[in-house]
Amino acid sequence: MHRRGGVGLAAFDRQEQSNRSFAELSSALSRSQVEHLHSQLNQFRTALARFASTHRDSIRSDPNFRHAFQQMCSSIGVDPLAGPRKGGWWAEMLGMGDWQYELGVQIVDVCVSTRERNGGLIEMSELVRLVSKLRGVTGGGITEEDVVRSIKTLEPLGAGYQVVEIGSRKMVRSVVKELDEDQSVVLAIAQSEGGRIVEDILIHRTGWTRERARAALENMVHRDGLCWLDDQDEQYGRAYWVPSAMQWDL
Amino acid sequence: MTNVMSLSTHTTASGFLLPSIHSAPPFFTQQPNPGTQAIAIEQWTRLILTYARHRRLFVLRVEDAETTGNDWDEILRNERINRKLLPPYLSHILSAMVAKDLAVYEPPRQTRSVLLYWRSPDEWAETLHSWATATGQLNTILTFYDITDPPIESELTGIPIPLLRKAISILGKTGRAQMIGVADGEGVRLFAGGR
Repeated sequence: MHRRGGVGLAAFDRQEQSNRSFAELSSALSRSQVEHLHSQLNQFRTALARFASTHRDSIRSDPNFRHAFQQMCSSIGVDPLAGPRKGGWWAEMLGMGDWQYELGVQIVDVCVSTRERNGGLIEMSELVRLVSKLRGVTGGGITEEDVVRSIKTLEPLGAGYQVVEIGSRKMVRSVVKELDEDQSVVLAIAQSEGGRIVEDILIHRTGWTRERARAALENMVHRDGLCWLDDQDEQYGRAYWVPSAMQWDL
Repeated sequence: MTNVMSLSTHTTASGFLLPSIHSAPPFFTQQPNPGTQAIAIEQWTRLILTYARHRRLFVLRVEDAETTGNDWDEILRNERINRKLLPPYLSHILSAMVAKDLAVYEPPRQTRSVLLYWRSPDEWAETLHSWATATGQLNTILTFYDITDPPIESELTGIPIPLLRKAISILGKTGRAQMIGVADGEGVRLFAGGR
C-alpha cells in the first residue's frame, strides 16, 4: 500500500517541508499583495495630491464646489475638513486644516465681540454675514454648512459653541446656558417682530398669563442679558429688544 | 420672510458717521442689566468722545439733554426713531466717563457739566509744546489768549482755560513750562527740553 503521505519519520519530514513551502508561498503572496496595495495607495495619493493642487483654490473659495467636494469625500468615508489632527496629510495637502481653523477663529471672533450686546446668542444668517464681512472680498464666500462644520471642529475646545433651532431659525449659542422653553418662545416671536417684543403682544401670541409673560421678559433682561429695555416705546411705553434678532452694521 | 430690524449707520448734517447702535431704540434707555449697561455706556462714551473730537466740542452738560438746538442734538437725539437721551441717563454716563478719566467735572464740586478728554491732558501738553516749538515761540511770554486765539488757527484754538492750565502744569513738571503773571492775567513761558 502506498499512501502519498507515507508513514513514519520520513512522512513527518515531508509534511514539515510542504508546510514550509506553503508558508513561504503564502508570505510571498501577501507580500505581493501588500506591495500591490502600496503601489495603489501611492497612485491614490498622487491622484489626490494632483486633485488637491488643481482644485485647492476652488475648494477654499467656492462654496458650491466645496459642498460637492465634501459630499464626494463623505461618500468615500474621508473627512478632509476635520482639521490637521483628524485629517492628517490629506488636510495638510488641501490646506483645509488651516482654512477650517481660520474660519473657526473668525466665528469665535464674531461670537465673542457681539456677545455682550446679544447675550451670546446670534442668528445663523447674521453670523454668516458678519464672518463674511470679516473675511473681506478675498476670503471667498462661506455658507451655513461651513459654519456648522467649523463649530463641530470647535467642540474639543469645550467652549460650548452650539447650533440651536429656535422657531424656524438656526441660531448659534456661544455661552453655556440653557434656554428654557419660555425664552425660546420669546426669541422666536421677537424674530418675527423684527427684534421688538412687548408684553401685550407676547400675551396675545401665546395665551400666557401676564405674570408669566412679564417674568419671561424680565428674566431675559436681568438674568440673561438677552434683551435690552426700551422705555420710550411710542405705543406701549415699555418694549424689549432682542439684539440677536436684529441686524447690526458694525 | 425675513423681518429683521436692520440697524444702519447714518451720516449727520455735520458730516459725522453715527454708528448703527445709534439707530437701536433701546440704546436711549438706561439698562437694568449691569453687563448690558456696561456695553451701552462704553458705546455712549466712545460716541460722545468721537463726536466731540469731530466738532471740537469741549464741554457737555446734563442740560444739553433737556433742550434742543444745542451742539449735541445730532447724538443726544435720534429723530428718525423718535428717541432721545434723557437727562438722568446722560448724568449717569457723564459720571462713568469721569470715573474712567475720560472727562472731568468742570467747574469742580458739581456734577452737571464736564470737560471732555477726547485728548488727555498729557496729549494736550505735548500738543502745546509742539505748537510753540513749530511757531518759534519758545522762551517768549505767551498770554493764555495768545494760545487760545492765535492769529493762525491751531489745534489749540478754543481750548478751555482749565484744560490749558492742566497742560501747562504737566509741562512744568519736566521743566518745560513756567507760569508767569502778566498785566492782563496769566501767561506762560515754554522751554525746549527733553521729553
